[in-house]
Amino acid sequence: MTERSRASQGAGKDLLVDGGAEVVEDPDLTVEALARAAAKKRPSAILVGATRTGRIVAARLAAKLRLGCLSDVYRLKVQGSSILGERDVFAGKVVAQVKADLPCVASVKVGTYPKMSEGRTGLEVEEVGSLQGGVRLVETLEKRAATTDLRSASVIVSAGRGFRTKEDLSLAEDLARALGGALGCSRPLSSDYGWLPEELHIGLTGVTVRPSLYLALGISGQLQHIAGIKESKVIAAVNTDKDAPIFQVADYGIVGDLYQVVPAILEILKS
Amino acid sequence: MSTFDKNAVEESIRLKEASSGSVTVFTVGRSDAKKTVKEALAMGGDRGCLVIIAAEPDPHDSLTTAYLLARAIERAGPFDLVLCAEGSSDIYAGQVPPMLSEWLALPFLGYVRKVEIEGRVIRCEQTLEEKVRVLEAELPALVSVVSEINEPRYPTLLQIMQASKKPIEELRSELLVDGRGPPRLVTTVGMTAHAMSRKRVIFEGSAEATSRKLVEALRSEGVLKR
Ligand SMILES: Cc1cc2nc3c(=O)[nH]c(=O)nc-3n(C[C@H](O)[C@H](O)[C@H](O)COP(=O)(O)OP(=O)(O)OC[C@H]3O[C@@H](n4cnc5c(N)ncnc54)[C@H](O)[C@@H]3O)c2cc1C
Repeated sequence: MTERSRASQGAGKDLLVDGGAEVVEDPDLTVEALARAAAKKRPSAILVGATRTGRIVAARLAAKLRLGCLSDVYRLKVQGSSILGERDVFAGKVVAQVKADLPCVASVKVGTYPKMSEGRTGLEVEEVGSLQGGVRLVETLEKRAATTDLRSASVIVSAGRGFRTKEDLSLAEDLARALGGALGCSRPLSSDYGWLPEELHIGLTGVTVRPSLYLALGISGQLQHIAGIKESKVIAAVNTDKDAPIFQVADYGIVGDLYQVVPAILEILKS
Repeated sequence: MSTFDKNAVEESIRLKEASSGSVTVFTVGRSDAKKTVKEALAMGGDRGCLVIIAAEPDPHDSLTTAYLLARAIERAGPFDLVLCAEGSSDIYAGQVPPMLSEWLALPFLGYVRKVEIEGRVIRCEQTLEEKVRVLEAELPALVSVVSEINEPRYPTLLQIMQASKKPIEELRSELLVDGRGPPRLVTTVGMTAHAMSRKRVIFEGSAEATSRKLVEALRSEGVLKR
């Protein structure tokens, strides 16, 4: 089963709620299944991965069970009868410390904890039987194969609006390949232009990444984008504008045209 | 008004224009939140409802906010559709819409980029990280929209003036809670500015020279695989 349907109990033991494949896909069913399992097992905390589906599940479950709910939290710790966590607010400018009374529900910010190893033992399985939801799935569109998982990439080359056409993105792809890394982008490239799939968009409303090297090409460095990259080990940037905010948060920067700099880097890496 | 909320208001007005019916705008806040309601009325809402809370609300106490909205919506009478933004643009917890759907016992369609209504059936495109799902439910239902769904309109001066004549009901939160509301379970303990210290080494010059310096620097950081 995926991480979405796996509820972690406070004591550090995982509970696998099994209601078949549909339960994972359908938030209606996931909420119902988890609510039933929680009623029996009384976990002190139910943790869900903060994907879009995960956030929906966490909040609905909390309302159903009348529990507090924390969204997109990381650095969780239990203190007495409550759980403390941190989350990014105001476009990542501010970190809020939040607290919920136990028992509670929380969605954990994606990419902030190492992945749980598969085949972990000590999993309890709770069968919930057949369930029914109120929302019907008619079809699934644009189901893209998740080619690269940005969250586990050690090098990310990221493209912004400094690229003039979709075709030009091959430059970024070539560089990513030469560096053995993955391609990411700023939100406008996926959400507004549709040049790249949504799952490659990095930042507040996209994925949070923590590579060893984050190389931003033609990205201005707005706070909402920075929110997703600040845990990178090294940040490098190429931008024509020497006053671009990205240079304030970068370790290394080249003031220059990506259309000249990227081929030059490729040339150096080849030799 | 939060930028994402404008997308929800815009979508409700487009749906009204395409069929018929009316749009009521709800918000929970201090009494100064009335100006937010007025903004939405200027965009084309028909009437407003402001749930006034006496104490400064905790921005992370979504359960209470959702509960108050649910009570206010129920009180306003029958409806076909509740539209919300995916989250607020400042706190972005995104909890209120799904919680509201539980309190109102409505089917929930979240992160929607397209809405179509035919008869009593609503069909939506839900955009998730890795796919888009086409979902259907019977009305009444609750939908949260993403910003890609539309381009919110700017009200004209005339619309802004007319908005001040539209009715806004003010409800005191204490009267809605009647002892059955959820206790406050979540609190914001603190807020700290995010500090980031970076080396900020900037290279200027020819593409070849700067690229060489960058590659060298990255090699010595040990972050280049090859
Ligand atoms: C609520 C909210 C949430 C958001 N969430 C996100 C998010 O999660 N992620 C995200 O990325 N954005 C997000 N945004 C959008 C964000 O505010 C910015 O608009 C976006 O990040 C800008 O993308 P960009 O840097 O690619 O484009 P721009 O800001 O347009 O920057 C393009 C840069 O390219 C440079 N450039 C131009 N030509 C060249 C060239 N030839 N060579 C080199 N450089 C060049 C320019 O100098 C400029 O700095 C959000 C916005 C809002 C309101």
